[in-house]
Amino acid sequence: MAFLITQLRAVGLFYRGVAPFMLGISGLILAAVLLPALQEGWGRGLLPGLLLTKLATAPVVWYLWEQLRPGQYWFYFNLGVSRRRLWSGVVALDGLVFLGGVVAMRAGVA
Amino acid sequence: MRRTAAGRPAGPQVLEADGIQVAFAGRQVLANIYLRVQTGQIVGLLGRNGSGKSVLLQTIFGARAVADASVRVNGQRVVPAFRRPGLLNYLPQGPLLPPSLPLHQAARMLRVDLNAATARFPELRPQFDCRIGELSGGSARLLQTLLLLHADTAFSLFDEPFSGVMPVHVETLAEEMQRLKQRKGLLLTDHRHAEVLPICDVIYLLHQGRLVKLEGNVREQLRDFGYLAQ
Repeated sequence: MAFLITQLRAVGLFYRGVAPFMLGISGLILAAVLLPALQEGWGRGLLPGLLLTKLATAPVVWYLWEQLRPGQYWFYFNLGVSRRRLWSGVVALDGLVFLGGVVAMRAGVA
Repeated sequence: MRRTAAGRPAGPQVLEADGIQVAFAGRQVLANIYLRVQTGQIVGLLGRNGSGKSVLLQTIFGARAVADASVRVNGQRVVPAFRRPGLLNYLPQGPLLPPSLPLHQAARMLRVDLNAATARFPELRPQFDCRIGELSGGSARLLQTLLLLHADTAFSLFDEPFSGVMPVHVETLAEEMQRLKQRKGLLLTDHRHAEVLPICDVIYLLHQGRLVKLEGNVREQLRDFGYLAQ
């Protein structure tokens, strides 16, 4: 249990590091696509497409991160968390944050 | 079977690595390495710059995938080793901790009592709330080494733990390593051979891709291999 909690904390900490990239992309998608669509009344069926677009940007963030901060994994490895697990956790967490943004924006426009 | 708080088996453990072959741009850096560390030992790994010491430590740790590499503990294969809770940790040559992480939080995540880890370095205590990027290079190095040294793992792999650390702290850190080897095995590489040689039970030299275990007059052999000046 303690090991699982440590792993979740590690993913949260790692997400804080990549958040500027990931939240920036989320903000851009929401502000440039979803907000005008909702205001013009055709945003209802957009969610799957937006979510896929958002997921498709994850490899770009991964690539940028690998290029800009290649030595940032050592602490996480020492916690027993692999690259794959870190990025899987981050993509899942970021997907939830993105969905939360969509829901909040819909509620705000409605 | 009795186990420690970290979930690893209590009692002596033997870490072995072999079959490691690494080449960069056609140059064989490591060839047919065999290395052995056991709990209760400090093992020194020396070698010229670019001889592959860091690559070897990272391969044992499991951060670097090398085909055919075999890392075993008590005969059981553990690849990648870092995924096994309580088995080993690794201090890289560069920064270990994320720059935004306060020290006390890093210690909590590594399950290290920071007060106990710095008991012999009281001047470090006011820095517990600092982020690693806010510390001097030597203090950061020392604190990161102490965190991993005091973590409850069977083995610690240290890549230049003395680098940038002031002499009085190097001496105390070396004493701490000797004290803590009672419960873990240490594999360390550092060019400060004057500090490394006296504390090591076993010395390996990486020379032209091969790992040579030095016995007898180690300094003389280091001179013969061109690691120390004649």
